[in-house]
Amino acid sequence: MSDDQEYYAGLDIGSAFIKAVLIHQKKIVAYEMFSSGGRYKEIARRVLDQVLTKGHVSLDKLSGIVVTGIGAESAPFQARQFSDISCQAAGCRSLFPSARIVIDIGGQFTRAIKLTAQGRVANFLMSEKCATGSGRFLQVIARILRIKIEDIAPLSLKSQKPVEFSTNCAVFAESETISRIAEGAHMEDILAGVHRALAAKVAVLVKGLKMEKDVVLTGGGSEDVGLVSAVSEALGVDVLIPEQPRLTAALGAAILAKEEKAKTR
Amino acid sequence: MPFAGVDIGSTMTKAVIVDGQGIMMASVIGPTGAEHRHLALVVMDETTKKAGIRFEQLDFIVATGYGRINVPFADKQITEITCHSRSVRTLFPTARIIIDIGGQDSKGIKLDAQGKVTNFVMNDKCAAGTGRFLEVIAETLGIKLTEMGELSLKAKDFVRISNICTVFAEHEVTTRLTEGATIPEIVAGLHEAFAGRVVNMVRSLGIEKDVVVTGGGAMNIGLIKAVEEKVGFRLLVPPEPLLTGALGAAFMGKDLLARGVTPERERRLEGVTFFK
Repeated sequence: MSDDQEYYAGLDIGSAFIKAVLIHQKKIVAYEMFSSGGRYKEIARRVLDQVLTKGHVSLDKLSGIVVTGIGAESAPFQARQFSDISCQAAGCRSLFPSARIVIDIGGQFTRAIKLTAQGRVANFLMSEKCATGSGRFLQVIARILRIKIEDIAPLSLKSQKPVEFSTNCAVFAESETISRIAEGAHMEDILAGVHRALAAKVAVLVKGLKMEKDVVLTGGGSEDVGLVSAVSEALGVDVLIPEQPRLTAALGAAILAKEEKAKTR
Repeated sequence: MPFAGVDIGSTMTKAVIVDGQGIMMASVIGPTGAEHRHLALVVMDETTKKAGIRFEQLDFIVATGYGRINVPFADKQITEITCHSRSVRTLFPTARIIIDIGGQDSKGIKLDAQGKVTNFVMNDKCAAGTGRFLEVIAETLGIKLTEMGELSLKAKDFVRISNICTVFAEHEVTTRLTEGATIPEIVAGLHEAFAGRVVNMVRSLGIEKDVVVTGGGAMNIGLIKAVEEKVGFRLLVPPEPLLTGALGAAFMGKDLLARGVTPERERRLEGVTFFK
């Protein structure tokens, strides 16, 4: 089969969302994302079917597929697996060849990956499995403030005086939020405070890898402009954001599927 | 000669009055909280009434717990580490380790053969390993914190909870429920995870017999059993584990007076704001 007929798919089975990307001649032709709802197998199948339908390709016509993410083991078919670190790195370097640090702020973890000038993974660090190190922290506080996730960013940008939390635990920060609000703190200052606390954790990870430009921010966290500005303030540099920051690992998986195929030639 | 101890914990405020022989005359437990601004005073007032004495008759009042500086009528403030070890020394002279499981923190205290504090560790940074962990998840499960102990005893086996973080464990618990695990099995799993966390914290002190468990956590039979499983021997629990700090504070006042220390300043019997 010639190169112009080859299609590759990447499937990222994450803890909250399952994403699939279909590429053809280095271009994204289709992508899809569904909430996993804990039903990895079923949703993974549906996401892949959707993306293939959109791209007008059948599963047996695919030249290669790579699965990644925390639920990769639950893939509903036989496929090569790559770590999410490798996929995240591959996806980000295809979008931003100048990337040296990739920060992925997900629903459960934050990861920082260091890339070599050639775009290979040199090292990576992961946050502890603690809610304050991930997007979950924002969800917890948004719930207590009774606001929607998408309202966090615009609100936080209005903050004049970000709250400094006395605790490093999302559960304790929840009660601290209640007492701060009772004392008259503004909602936007609470949210900006959460952004700062989260950004400080990100900065610790990046410091561990030694900071180098350019920095790419991916994952759900990068869709929150308030968090993005807090991270760039904490790191002292502007950060690059992919157009579809939740899909970079799935994109990387598709790229790695293509690279694998090239190796066998 | 009555002596009072007031322990303002993160979750509960406790007061104890003992007589000249150190026998408990009365005790009161009330919830701490931002809305209970005058609680130290209210609890003290109630305790004196229960003991059948007037406030002015108290020979010494010692305040302890994390809110101890907010008791303006106390003659002295003493840390909960000292107060816990003081009452445990009387209740269980063989104790070498105290594990205090509070509402928002947990502590391990090491005692020497004379009952003196030689070292301690504390966790107030993370809800895991504190009463808050069970409180949050009890709410998710729609059960009462106080019934968790008994409930877990009904389980033949426990469901392993792999998340340390309370927020993630909350999610894990709902996933296990949908997978068909029963509530008793899950609660037993929570106790197992909790016990692991607490024992890990205390391990650095060198776990040595006897081990006494105090605080609200000691009232949870399932948690006690889970800790016993981890350490490999039976634990000692005071009859009223919540009062350990307040009782120790009252004993400290008695000790101080016996050493010739008398209350210096005039007492101001007034309410205070805990949270500024």
